[in-house]
Amino acid sequence: MLDFLHYGFMQRAILSSVVVGTTCSCIGVFVVLRGMAFAGSGLAHAAFGGVALGFLLAVNPLFAAVLFCLGTAGLIQVASRRAQLRMDAAIGIFFAFAMALGVLFIGLMKRYDARVYGYLFGNVLGVTAGNLVLMAVLGLAVIGAVGLLYRQLKFLTFDEDMAEASGLPTGFLAVLLLGLLALTVVVSLKTVGIILVEALLVTPAATAYQLTHRYGMMFILSWIAGVTSCVSGLIISYVLGIPSGAAIVIVATALFALAALFSPKRRKCRVCGRESVA
Amino acid sequence: MVQLTGTSVRFDHVTVAYQQSVAVEDVSFELKSGEFLGIIGPNGSGKTTLLRAVLGLVRPVSGSVTVLGATGRDLTNIRRQIGYVPQRRSLDPQFPISVRDAVAMGLYPLLGLFRRPTDDERARVEQALAAVGLSDSAGHVAGHLSGGQQQRLLIARALVQEPQILLLDEPTSAVDVATRFTIVDLVRKLHAERGLTTLYVTHDVNEVLPCVDKVLYINRSLRAFGSCVQVLNRETLESLYGGRVIFAEDGGRRYVVVGDSHA
Repeated sequence: MLDFLHYGFMQRAILSSVVVGTTCSCIGVFVVLRGMAFAGSGLAHAAFGGVALGFLLAVNPLFAAVLFCLGTAGLIQVASRRAQLRMDAAIGIFFAFAMALGVLFIGLMKRYDARVYGYLFGNVLGVTAGNLVLMAVLGLAVIGAVGLLYRQLKFLTFDEDMAEASGLPTGFLAVLLLGLLALTVVVSLKTVGIILVEALLVTPAATAYQLTHRYGMMFILSWIAGVTSCVSGLIISYVLGIPSGAAIVIVATALFALAALFSPKRRKCRVCGRESVA
Repeated sequence: MVQLTGTSVRFDHVTVAYQQSVAVEDVSFELKSGEFLGIIGPNGSGKTTLLRAVLGLVRPVSGSVTVLGATGRDLTNIRRQIGYVPQRRSLDPQFPISVRDAVAMGLYPLLGLFRRPTDDERARVEQALAAVGLSDSAGHVAGHLSGGQQQRLLIARALVQEPQILLLDEPTSAVDVATRFTIVDLVRKLHAERGLTTLYVTHDVNEVLPCVDKVLYINRSLRAFGSCVQVLNRETLESLYGGRVIFAEDGGRRYVVVGDSHA
Protein backbone atom coordinates (compact mmCIF):
# COMPACT_ATOMS: atom_id res chain seq x y z
CA MET A 1 0.00 0.00 0.00
CA LEU A 2 2.91 2.34 0.69
CA ASP A 3 4.70 1.43 -2.55
CA PHE A 4 4.15 4.95 -3.85
CA LEU A 5 6.68 6.18 -1.29
CA HIS A 6 9.42 4.62 -3.37
CA TYR A 7 8.79 6.94 -6.29
CA GLY A 8 11.05 9.97 -6.56
CA PHE A 9 8.21 12.34 -7.44
CA MET A 10 6.32 11.19 -4.33
CA GLN A 11 9.33 11.68 -2.07
CA ARG A 12 9.80 15.18 -3.43
CA ALA A 13 6.09 15.84 -2.98
CA ILE A 14 6.18 14.75 0.67
CA LEU A 15 9.29 16.82 1.40
CA SER A 16 7.81 19.85 -0.28
CA SER A 17 4.59 19.33 1.71
CA VAL A 18 6.60 19.38 4.93
CA VAL A 19 8.43 22.55 3.85
CA VAL A 20 5.22 24.29 2.83
CA GLY A 21 3.30 23.15 5.91
CA THR A 22 6.09 24.33 8.18
CA THR A 23 6.64 27.70 6.53
CA CYS A 24 2.98 28.60 6.10
CA SER A 25 2.08 27.55 9.62
CA CYS A 26 4.89 29.71 11.02
CA ILE A 27 4.00 32.89 9.15
CA GLY A 28 0.32 32.04 9.51
CA VAL A 29 0.48 32.87 13.23
CA PHE A 30 1.22 36.51 12.33
CA VAL A 31 -1.34 36.44 9.53
CA VAL A 32 -4.04 35.47 12.02
CA LEU A 33 -2.95 37.64 14.97
CA ARG A 34 -2.19 40.76 12.94
CA GLY A 35 -5.13 40.43 10.57
CA MET A 36 -2.94 40.03 7.48
CA ALA A 37 -5.16 37.54 5.64
CA PHE A 38 -5.91 39.99 2.85
CA ALA A 39 -2.20 40.74 2.50
CA GLY A 40 -1.56 37.02 2.02
CA SER A 41 -4.28 36.77 -0.60
CA GLY A 42 -3.01 39.90 -2.34
CA LEU A 43 0.57 38.68 -2.51
CA ALA A 44 -0.58 35.29 -3.78
CA HIS A 45 -2.39 36.99 -6.66
CA ALA A 46 0.64 39.19 -7.25
CA ALA A 47 2.70 36.01 -7.64
CA PHE A 48 0.66 35.25 -10.74
CA GLY A 49 2.26 38.27 -12.43
CA GLY A 50 5.69 36.95 -11.47
CA VAL A 51 4.99 33.43 -12.72
CA ALA A 52 3.71 34.78 -16.05
CA LEU A 53 6.79 37.00 -16.37
CA GLY A 54 9.00 33.97 -15.74
CA PHE A 55 7.34 32.04 -18.56
CA LEU A 56 7.52 35.06 -20.89
CA LEU A 57 11.26 35.53 -20.24
CA ALA A 58 11.92 31.76 -20.11
CA VAL A 59 13.38 31.94 -16.62
CA ASN A 60 12.43 29.91 -13.53
CA PRO A 61 8.90 31.12 -12.72
CA LEU A 62 9.52 30.78 -8.99
CA PHE A 63 12.53 33.13 -9.16
CA ALA A 64 10.43 35.65 -11.04
CA ALA A 65 7.63 35.19 -8.52
CA VAL A 66 10.02 35.95 -5.64
CA LEU A 67 11.01 39.27 -7.21
CA PHE A 68 7.44 40.13 -8.12
CA CYS A 69 6.06 39.34 -4.67
CA LEU A 70 8.82 41.22 -2.84
CA GLY A 71 8.36 44.17 -5.19
CA THR A 72 4.61 44.18 -4.58
CA ALA A 73 5.12 43.95 -0.81
CA GLY A 74 7.44 46.95 -1.02
CA LEU A 75 4.98 48.97 -3.09
CA ILE A 76 2.17 48.15 -0.66
CA GLN A 77 4.26 49.36 2.27
CA VAL A 78 5.35 52.54 0.49
CA ALA A 79 1.83 53.35 -0.65
CA SER A 80 0.30 52.80 2.76
CA ARG A 81 2.85 55.11 4.41
CA ARG A 82 3.60 57.77 1.80
CA ALA A 83 0.16 57.97 0.20
CA GLN A 84 -1.39 57.50 3.66
CA LEU A 85 -3.63 54.74 2.44
CA ARG A 86 -5.12 52.07 4.65
CA MET A 87 -3.22 48.84 4.16
CA ASP A 88 -6.17 46.98 2.62
CA ALA A 89 -6.61 49.68 -0.03
CA ALA A 90 -2.91 49.54 -0.91
CA ILE A 91 -3.10 45.75 -1.18
CA GLY A 92 -6.21 45.97 -3.38
CA ILE A 93 -4.49 48.37 -5.77
CA PHE A 94 -1.27 46.45 -6.24
CA PHE A 95 -2.54 42.90 -6.30
CA ALA A 96 -4.96 43.82 -9.07
CA PHE A 97 -2.13 45.62 -10.87
CA ALA A 98 0.12 42.55 -10.60
CA MET A 99 -2.68 40.26 -11.82
CA ALA A 100 -3.26 42.57 -14.79
CA LEU A 101 0.44 42.46 -15.59
CA GLY A 102 0.23 38.68 -15.46
CA VAL A 103 -2.58 38.67 -18.02
CA LEU A 104 -0.55 41.07 -20.18
CA PHE A 105 2.57 38.87 -20.01
CA ILE A 106 0.53 35.81 -21.02
CA GLY A 107 -0.86 37.77 -23.97
CA LEU A 108 2.69 38.69 -25.01
CA MET A 109 3.88 35.07 -25.02
CA LYS A 110 4.58 33.79 -28.51
CA ARG A 111 3.37 30.33 -27.72
CA TYR A 112 0.61 29.36 -25.34
CA ASP A 113 1.99 27.53 -22.30
CA ALA A 114 -0.64 25.83 -20.15
CA ARG A 115 1.89 25.32 -17.36
CA VAL A 116 1.36 28.91 -16.25
CA TYR A 117 -2.19 28.03 -15.26
CA GLY A 118 -0.86 25.06 -13.31
CA TYR A 119 0.38 27.56 -10.76
CA LEU A 120 -3.16 28.71 -10.11
CA PHE A 121 -4.16 25.49 -8.37
CA GLY A 122 -0.78 23.87 -7.72
CA ASN A 123 0.52 20.40 -8.49
CA VAL A 124 2.60 19.04 -5.67
CA LEU A 125 3.32 15.87 -7.64
CA GLY A 126 5.07 18.01 -10.25
CA VAL A 127 7.66 19.45 -7.84
CA THR A 128 11.14 19.07 -9.32
CA ALA A 129 14.40 18.73 -7.40
CA GLY A 130 15.25 22.31 -8.33
CA ASN A 131 11.87 23.55 -7.07
CA LEU A 132 12.41 21.66 -3.82
CA VAL A 133 15.82 23.20 -3.22
CA LEU A 134 14.48 26.71 -3.81
CA MET A 135 11.49 26.06 -1.55
CA ALA A 136 13.72 24.69 1.19
CA VAL A 137 16.09 27.67 1.02
CA LEU A 138 13.26 30.20 1.12
CA GLY A 139 11.50 28.25 3.86
CA LEU A 140 14.65 28.17 5.99
CA ALA A 141 15.14 31.88 5.46
CA VAL A 142 11.59 32.62 6.63
CA ILE A 143 11.75 30.37 9.68
CA GLY A 144 15.24 31.56 10.53
CA ALA A 145 14.15 35.19 10.46
CA VAL A 146 11.10 34.47 12.63
CA GLY A 147 13.24 32.52 15.09
CA LEU A 148 15.88 35.23 15.29
CA LEU A 149 13.32 37.98 15.80
CA TYR A 150 10.87 35.93 17.86
CA ARG A 151 10.60 38.39 20.77
CA GLN A 152 10.60 41.50 18.61
CA LEU A 153 7.84 40.16 16.34
CA LYS A 154 5.85 39.09 19.40
CA PHE A 155 6.00 42.62 20.84
CA LEU A 156 5.18 44.14 17.44
CA THR A 157 2.17 41.87 17.04
CA PHE A 158 0.80 42.36 20.55
CA ASP A 159 1.26 46.13 20.90
CA GLU A 160 2.90 47.95 17.99
CA ASP A 161 2.64 51.42 19.55
CA MET A 162 4.34 50.33 22.76
CA ALA A 163 6.97 48.38 20.84
CA GLU A 164 7.87 51.58 18.99
CA ALA A 165 7.86 53.60 22.21
CA SER A 166 10.21 51.02 23.73
CA GLY A 167 12.75 51.57 20.98
CA LEU A 168 12.04 48.64 18.66
CA PRO A 169 12.34 49.43 14.90
CA THR A 170 8.68 48.70 14.24
CA GLY A 171 8.67 50.17 10.73
CA PHE A 172 11.47 47.82 9.68
CA LEU A 173 9.84 44.83 11.40
CA ALA A 174 6.48 45.46 9.69
CA VAL A 175 8.16 45.65 6.28
CA LEU A 176 10.19 42.53 7.06
CA LEU A 177 7.05 40.62 8.03
CA LEU A 178 5.40 41.54 4.75
CA GLY A 179 8.53 40.39 2.91
CA LEU A 180 8.55 37.08 4.78
CA LEU A 181 4.89 36.63 3.86
CA ALA A 182 5.81 37.23 0.21
CA LEU A 183 8.51 34.54 0.36
CA THR A 184 6.11 32.12 2.07
CA VAL A 185 3.61 32.60 -0.75
CA VAL A 186 6.27 31.67 -3.31
CA VAL A 187 7.28 28.59 -1.26
CA SER A 188 3.67 27.36 -1.49
CA LEU A 189 2.92 28.04 -5.16
CA LYS A 190 3.79 24.64 -6.58
CA THR A 191 2.01 22.77 -3.80
CA VAL A 192 -1.35 24.49 -3.35
CA GLY A 193 -1.26 27.15 -6.05
CA ILE A 194 -2.09 30.82 -6.09
CA ILE A 195 -5.81 30.44 -5.47
CA LEU A 196 -5.55 28.25 -2.40
CA VAL A 197 -2.31 29.37 -0.70
CA GLU A 198 -4.39 31.76 1.37
CA ALA A 199 -5.99 28.78 3.09
CA LEU A 200 -2.63 27.41 4.19
CA LEU A 201 -1.61 30.80 5.52
CA VAL A 202 -4.72 31.14 7.66
CA THR A 203 -6.29 27.79 8.50
CA PRO A 204 -3.52 25.94 10.43
CA ALA A 205 -2.81 29.02 12.58
CA ALA A 206 -6.53 29.57 13.12
CA THR A 207 -6.77 25.93 14.19
CA ALA A 208 -3.97 26.43 16.70
CA TYR A 209 -5.65 29.59 17.95
CA GLN A 210 -8.67 27.52 18.96
CA LEU A 211 -6.55 25.28 21.12
CA THR A 212 -4.30 27.51 23.19
CA HIS A 213 -3.91 30.82 25.00
CA ARG A 214 -0.11 30.60 24.82
CA TYR A 215 1.69 32.45 22.07
CA GLY A 216 4.58 29.98 21.78
CA MET A 217 2.30 26.95 21.81
CA MET A 218 0.34 28.52 18.95
CA PHE A 219 3.40 28.10 16.70
CA ILE A 220 3.79 24.44 17.65
CA LEU A 221 0.12 23.58 17.17
CA SER A 222 0.00 25.53 13.90
CA TRP A 223 2.97 23.52 12.67
CA ILE A 224 1.28 20.23 13.56
CA ALA A 225 -1.92 21.30 11.78
CA GLY A 226 -0.04 22.63 8.75
CA VAL A 227 2.20 19.61 8.16
CA THR A 228 -0.62 17.16 8.88
CA SER A 229 -2.86 18.94 6.37
CA CYS A 230 -0.19 19.02 3.67
CA VAL A 231 1.10 15.44 3.99
CA SER A 232 -2.26 13.77 4.54
CA GLY A 233 -3.85 15.92 1.82
CA LEU A 234 -1.08 14.84 -0.54
CA ILE A 235 -1.61 11.15 0.19
CA ILE A 236 -5.38 11.48 -0.14
CA SER A 237 -4.99 13.30 -3.48
CA TYR A 238 -2.70 10.54 -4.79
CA VAL A 239 -4.94 7.69 -3.66
CA LEU A 240 -8.19 9.29 -4.85
CA GLY A 241 -6.75 11.00 -7.92
CA ILE A 242 -8.01 14.45 -6.98
CA PRO A 243 -6.14 17.80 -7.16
CA SER A 244 -3.57 18.02 -4.35
CA GLY A 245 -4.22 21.68 -3.49
CA ALA A 246 -7.91 21.04 -2.95
CA ALA A 247 -7.25 17.92 -0.85
CA ILE A 248 -4.79 19.78 1.38
CA VAL A 249 -7.16 22.67 1.98
CA ILE A 250 -10.10 20.38 2.70
CA VAL A 251 -8.06 18.48 5.31
CA ALA A 252 -6.89 21.76 6.85
CA THR A 253 -10.46 23.03 7.05
CA ALA A 254 -11.65 19.78 8.62
CA LEU A 255 -8.96 20.08 11.30
CA PHE A 256 -10.06 23.64 11.98
CA ALA A 257 -13.68 22.55 12.32
CA LEU A 258 -12.72 19.86 14.84
CA ALA A 259 -10.58 22.29 16.81
CA ALA A 260 -13.32 24.91 16.90
CA LEU A 261 -15.88 22.31 17.97
CA PHE A 262 -13.82 20.95 20.85
CA SER A 263 -11.88 24.10 21.73
CA PRO A 264 -10.72 24.19 25.37
CA LYS A 265 -11.14 27.97 25.24
CA ARG A 266 -14.82 27.36 25.80
CA ARG A 267 -14.02 26.01 29.27
CA LYS A 268 -13.81 28.47 32.14
CA CYS A 269 -12.37 28.33 35.63
CA ARG A 270 -15.02 27.01 37.97
CA VAL A 271 -13.79 29.28 40.77
CA CYS A 272 -13.41 32.70 39.14
CA GLY A 273 -15.23 32.19 35.88
CA ARG A 274 -12.21 33.33 33.91
CA GLU A 275 -10.41 31.46 31.21
CA SER A 276 -6.93 30.64 32.43
CA VAL A 277 -3.87 30.30 30.25
CA ALA A 278 -3.86 26.73 28.93
CA MET B 1 13.79 62.20 50.69
CA VAL B 2 14.64 62.24 46.96
CA GLN B 3 17.89 63.90 45.99
CA LEU B 4 17.19 66.22 43.10
CA THR B 5 20.37 66.40 41.09
CA GLY B 6 20.79 67.31 37.46
CA THR B 7 18.31 68.01 34.72
CA SER B 8 16.27 65.08 33.53
CA VAL B 9 14.13 66.71 30.86
CA ARG B 10 14.52 70.07 29.14
CA PHE B 11 12.42 71.64 26.42
CA ASP B 12 14.02 74.68 24.73
CA HIS B 13 11.52 76.68 22.63
CA VAL B 14 10.09 73.46 21.22
CA THR B 15 7.52 73.57 18.44
CA VAL B 16 6.04 70.32 17.11
CA ALA B 17 3.80 70.14 14.08
CA TYR B 18 1.89 67.28 12.43
CA GLN B 19 1.77 68.04 8.70
CA GLN B 20 0.40 71.60 8.56
CA SER B 21 -1.03 71.68 12.07
CA VAL B 22 0.99 72.97 15.03
CA ALA B 23 0.47 70.74 18.07
CA VAL B 24 2.91 72.36 20.49
CA GLU B 25 4.24 75.88 20.08
CA ASP B 26 7.36 77.41 21.63
CA VAL B 27 7.33 75.40 24.86
CA SER B 28 10.22 75.71 27.29
CA PHE B 29 10.58 74.09 30.69
CA GLU B 30 13.06 72.11 32.72
CA LEU B 31 12.51 69.17 35.03
CA LYS B 32 15.07 68.02 37.57
CA SER B 33 15.86 64.39 38.25
CA GLY B 34 13.28 62.86 40.60
CA GLU B 35 10.67 65.59 40.18
CA PHE B 36 6.99 64.81 39.65
CA LEU B 37 5.37 66.94 36.95
CA GLY B 38 1.61 67.07 36.45
CA ILE B 39 0.62 68.07 32.91
CA ILE B 40 -2.85 69.53 32.46
CA GLY B 41 -4.71 71.00 29.51
CA PRO B 42 -7.85 70.54 27.45
CA ASN B 43 -8.27 67.89 24.73
CA GLY B 44 -6.00 68.50 21.77
CA SER B 45 -3.74 70.85 23.73
CA GLY B 46 -0.52 68.95 23.05
CA LYS B 47 -0.15 66.95 26.28
CA THR B 48 0.42 63.62 24.54
CA THR B 49 2.68 65.33 22.01
CA LEU B 50 4.91 66.48 24.88
CA LEU B 51 5.31 62.87 26.04
CA ARG B 52 5.98 61.66 22.50
CA ALA B 53 8.62 64.38 22.11
CA VAL B 54 10.33 63.13 25.29
CA LEU B 55 10.41 59.65 23.76
CA GLY B 56 11.74 61.00 20.48
CA LEU B 57 8.71 59.65 18.60
CA VAL B 58 8.09 63.12 17.19
CA ARG B 59 10.81 65.60 16.26
CA PRO B 60 10.44 69.32 16.87
CA VAL B 61 10.35 71.58 13.83
CA SER B 62 12.21 74.10 15.96
CA GLY B 63 13.87 74.08 19.34
CA SER B 64 15.37 71.11 21.10
CA VAL B 65 14.33 68.41 23.54
CA THR B 66 17.02 67.10 25.87
CA VAL B 67 16.35 63.98 27.92
CA LEU B 68 19.00 62.53 30.27
CA GLY B 69 21.58 64.48 28.30
CA ALA B 70 20.52 63.11 24.90
CA THR B 71 19.00 65.20 22.16
CA GLY B 72 17.87 64.86 18.55
CA ARG B 73 18.36 61.41 17.04
CA ASP B 74 20.10 60.21 20.23
CA LEU B 75 16.71 60.21 21.96
CA THR B 76 15.97 56.91 20.21
CA ASN B 77 18.89 55.30 22.04
CA ILE B 78 17.69 56.24 25.50
CA ARG B 79 14.10 55.09 25.11
CA ARG B 80 15.02 52.04 27.15
CA GLN B 81 15.51 54.31 30.14
CA ILE B 82 12.02 55.72 29.83
CA GLY B 83 8.99 53.80 31.02
CA TYR B 84 5.88 54.77 29.08
CA VAL B 85 2.30 54.06 30.08
CA PRO B 86 0.19 55.11 27.10
CA GLN B 87 -3.32 56.45 27.14
CA ARG B 88 -5.42 53.43 27.83
CA ARG B 89 -6.88 51.41 25.08
CA SER B 90 -8.17 47.93 25.60
CA LEU B 91 -5.76 45.07 25.14
CA ASP B 92 -6.83 42.57 22.51
CA PRO B 93 -8.92 40.05 24.49
CA GLN B 94 -8.19 37.36 21.92
CA PHE B 95 -4.39 37.66 21.89
CA PRO B 96 -2.81 34.49 23.31
CA ILE B 97 -0.58 35.97 25.99
CA SER B 98 -0.50 35.80 29.75
CA VAL B 99 -0.22 38.78 32.08
CA ARG B 100 3.30 37.67 33.03
CA ASP B 101 4.42 37.48 29.40
CA ALA B 102 2.87 40.86 28.61
CA VAL B 103 4.76 42.45 31.52
CA ALA B 104 7.99 40.66 30.50
CA MET B 105 7.84 42.46 27.16
CA GLY B 106 9.20 45.46 29.00
CA LEU B 107 12.54 43.60 29.04
CA TYR B 108 12.71 42.95 25.30
CA PRO B 109 14.43 46.20 24.31
CA LEU B 110 17.15 45.38 26.85
CA LEU B 111 17.74 41.83 25.62
CA GLY B 112 18.62 42.36 21.97
CA LEU B 113 18.48 39.47 19.51
CA PHE B 114 20.25 36.60 21.23
CA ARG B 115 20.32 37.15 24.97
CA ARG B 116 17.86 35.33 27.18
CA PRO B 117 16.60 36.97 30.39
CA THR B 118 18.75 36.34 33.45
CA ASP B 119 17.32 35.11 36.75
CA ASP B 120 17.52 38.67 38.05
CA GLU B 121 15.52 39.97 35.10
CA ARG B 122 12.89 37.28 35.54
CA ALA B 123 12.71 38.23 39.20
CA ARG B 124 12.14 41.86 38.14
CA VAL B 125 9.05 40.73 36.26
CA GLU B 126 7.68 39.08 39.41
CA GLN B 127 8.58 42.14 41.48
CA ALA B 128 6.81 44.43 39.02
CA LEU B 129 3.72 42.22 39.15
CA ALA B 130 3.80 42.32 42.94
CA ALA B 131 4.30 46.10 42.98
CA VAL B 132 1.08 46.63 41.02
CA GLY B 133 -0.86 43.88 42.78
CA LEU B 134 -1.17 41.50 39.81
CA SER B 135 0.79 38.50 41.12
CA ASP B 136 -2.37 36.43 41.50
CA SER B 137 -3.43 37.20 37.92
CA ALA B 138 -0.02 36.49 36.36
CA GLY B 139 -1.25 33.34 34.62
CA HIS B 140 -4.44 34.83 33.22
CA VAL B 141 -4.96 36.03 29.67
CA ALA B 142 -3.86 39.66 29.56
CA GLY B 143 -6.81 40.78 27.45
CA HIS B 144 -9.29 39.36 29.96
CA LEU B 145 -8.28 41.71 32.76
CA SER B 146 -10.55 44.56 33.82
CA GLY B 147 -9.77 48.11 32.71
CA GLY B 148 -8.02 49.01 35.96
CA GLN B 149 -6.02 45.78 35.95
CA GLN B 150 -4.91 46.37 32.37
CA GLN B 151 -3.69 49.80 33.36
CA ARG B 152 -1.71 48.26 36.22
CA LEU B 153 -0.28 45.75 33.74
CA LEU B 154 0.96 48.62 31.58
CA ILE B 155 2.54 50.25 34.63
CA ALA B 156 4.24 46.97 35.56
CA ARG B 157 5.59 46.63 32.03
CA ALA B 158 7.07 50.10 32.26
CA LEU B 159 8.64 49.32 35.66
CA VAL B 160 10.35 46.15 34.45
CA GLN B 161 12.73 48.28 32.40
CA GLU B 162 13.90 49.98 35.64
CA PRO B 163 13.45 53.33 33.97
CA GLN B 164 14.84 56.65 35.13
CA ILE B 165 11.83 58.50 33.78
CA LEU B 166 8.18 57.42 33.91
CA LEU B 167 5.64 58.88 31.49
CA LEU B 168 1.95 58.32 32.15
CA ASP B 169 -0.67 59.52 29.69
CA GLU B 170 -4.06 59.82 31.45
CA PRO B 171 -3.61 56.49 33.25
CA THR B 172 -6.99 56.78 34.96
CA SER B 173 -9.14 57.54 31.95
CA ALA B 174 -12.04 55.13 31.46
CA VAL B 175 -11.72 53.52 34.90
CA ASP B 176 -14.07 53.83 37.85
CA VAL B 177 -13.42 56.20 40.75
CA ALA B 178 -12.19 53.56 43.18
CA THR B 179 -9.73 52.19 40.65
CA ARG B 180 -8.59 55.71 39.86
CA PHE B 181 -7.51 56.21 43.48
CA THR B 182 -5.73 52.84 43.42
CA ILE B 183 -3.72 53.76 40.35
CA VAL B 184 -2.84 57.25 41.59
CA ASP B 185 -1.74 55.87 44.97
CA LEU B 186 0.37 53.28 43.17
CA VAL B 187 2.10 55.90 41.02
CA ARG B 188 2.67 58.11 44.06
CA LYS B 189 4.19 55.19 45.97
CA LEU B 190 6.44 54.21 43.06
CA HIS B 191 7.65 57.75 42.65
CA ALA B 192 8.43 58.03 46.37
CA GLU B 193 10.18 54.65 46.59
CA ARG B 194 12.16 54.76 43.37
CA GLY B 195 12.77 58.46 42.90
CA LEU B 196 11.57 58.32 39.30
CA THR B 197 11.30 61.51 37.31
CA THR B 198 7.58 61.35 36.57
CA LEU B 199 5.50 63.14 33.95
CA TYR B 200 1.79 62.54 34.54
CA VAL B 201 -0.84 63.77 32.08
CA THR B 202 -4.29 64.20 33.53
CA HIS B 203 -7.58 66.00 33.08
CA ASP B 204 -8.22 66.01 36.81
CA VAL B 205 -5.81 68.12 38.84
CA ASN B 206 -7.11 66.54 42.06
CA GLU B 207 -5.39 63.29 41.12
CA VAL B 208 -1.95 64.77 41.31
CA LEU B 209 -2.31 67.66 43.77
CA PRO B 210 -0.93 65.66 46.74
CA CYS B 211 2.22 64.48 44.98
CA VAL B 212 3.40 66.83 42.24
CA ASP B 213 6.44 69.04 42.55
CA LYS B 214 5.47 71.10 39.51
CA VAL B 215 2.49 71.60 37.24
CA LEU B 216 2.57 72.43 33.54
CA TYR B 217 -0.54 73.87 31.91
CA ILE B 218 -0.47 73.67 28.15
CA ASN B 219 -2.96 74.68 25.50
CA ARG B 220 -0.78 74.40 22.43
CA SER B 221 1.55 76.92 23.95
CA LEU B 222 2.76 76.97 27.53
CA ARG B 223 0.20 78.78 29.70
CA ALA B 224 1.82 78.18 33.07
CA PHE B 225 4.65 76.22 34.63
CA GLY B 226 5.69 76.11 38.26
CA SER B 227 4.64 74.87 41.66
CA CYS B 228 1.02 74.02 42.50
CA VAL B 229 0.63 77.33 44.31
CA GLN B 230 1.96 79.26 41.32
CA VAL B 231 -0.05 77.46 38.65
CA LEU B 232 -3.26 76.20 40.22
CA ASN B 233 -4.89 79.53 40.93
CA ARG B 234 -8.48 80.41 40.17
CA GLU B 235 -7.68 82.31 36.97
CA THR B 236 -5.64 79.46 35.45
CA LEU B 237 -8.13 76.76 36.41
CA GLU B 238 -11.14 78.66 35.15
CA SER B 239 -9.29 79.22 31.89
CA LEU B 240 -8.53 75.50 31.73
CA TYR B 241 -11.98 74.22 32.59
CA GLY B 242 -14.03 76.98 31.05
CA GLY B 243 -16.25 77.27 34.10
CA ARG B 244 -16.43 78.32 37.71
CA VAL B 245 -13.94 76.68 40.02
CA ILE B 246 -14.34 76.20 43.74
CA PHE B 247 -11.53 75.32 46.15
CA ALA B 248 -12.51 73.05 48.99
CA GLU B 249 -10.58 71.70 51.91
CA ASP B 250 -11.19 68.46 53.76
CA GLY B 251 -8.96 66.74 56.25
CA GLY B 252 -6.12 69.12 55.53
CA ARG B 253 -6.24 68.35 51.84
CA ARG B 254 -7.19 70.85 49.14
CA TYR B 255 -9.54 69.94 46.30
CA VAL B 256 -10.57 71.68 43.13
CA VAL B 257 -14.25 71.30 42.35
CA VAL B 258 -15.33 72.12 38.84
CA GLY B 259 -17.84 71.23 36.12
CA ASP B 260 -15.67 69.42 33.60
CA SER B 261 -15.79 71.13 30.21
CA HIS B 262 -13.03 71.37 27.64
CA ALA B 263 -12.03 74.12 25.25
